[in-house]
Amino acid sequence: MNNRLKVLRAERGWSQQDLAVQLEVSRQSVNAIETGRYDPSLPLAFRIADLFGMAIEDIFQRG
Amino acid sequence: MVSETAARRPVWLWGFTFFVGMFGTGFAARWFDLGAIPSMLVMIPPMLLLTPFVRATERAQAGCGALSPAGRRYNRRGMAWSFSYVLLLAVAVIGSKTLHAQGPLLWLLALLPALPVFYLLWAMARYLVEEQDEYLRMQVVNAALFATGLLLGTATVWGFLETFRLVPHVPGWAAVPVWAIGLGLGSFVNRWRDK
Repeated sequence: MNNRLKVLRAERGWSQQDLAVQLEVSRQSVNAIETGRYDPSLPLAFRIADLFGMAIEDIFQRG
Repeated sequence: MVSETAARRPVWLWGFTFFVGMFGTGFAARWFDLGAIPSMLVMIPPMLLLTPFVRATERAQAGCGALSPAGRRYNRRGMAWSFSYVLLLAVAVIGSKTLHAQGPLLWLLALLPALPVFYLLWAMARYLVEEQDEYLRMQVVNAALFATGLLLGTATVWGFLETFRLVPHVPGWAAVPVWAIGLGLGSFVNRWRDK
């Protein structure tokens, strides 16, 4: 699955650590999701979407 | 007390030193036929290396943003298990020799070192419940599966070699150290895949 997490994060000037703190996950998790090594669960995907004020499908797309 | 330079040693070096120390003294004690009580005593110094090993592991985990509160608690519980295992093993070995234990007392002493394993199983289960970070939890589950596969493979191969009298007998309690090595290797595989 592809995602726009890195771009969206950069647009807001957040570091991976900033995003990790807001999502209450580890920085390693953010890194793994951004680089496509890990696809988040549905609850975490919803948390990410809520944080950016977007729909899940606007952040995550089929690879 | 660990010096500042020693404290910065990479985690693999502490891990390597710990395992070589533990297994080295174990094999040396058997090779030189030291006897039960001296064999226990020579394994105490390498056992103390576990503390800097765990601290180095936590520094490495924190450095790459992978140390969660649940992970820290699991590390503490893992250390508590390790030290209580060695302590109760020493009590069992020394107790059975000095008390010339027989009957129910011998049963009790023989089962004593096995009890902390149930604490370890509980600690593993608690970690999986307490870990709020799904990615870190998945990594630990992956490492545990790797360790279980290594244990099953090693035990099966060794068991058949033993049946055909090609290798010496290994006691069943060796399962936990083999599984622990597998967990460590699984963690290294995780870190390698993360790079």
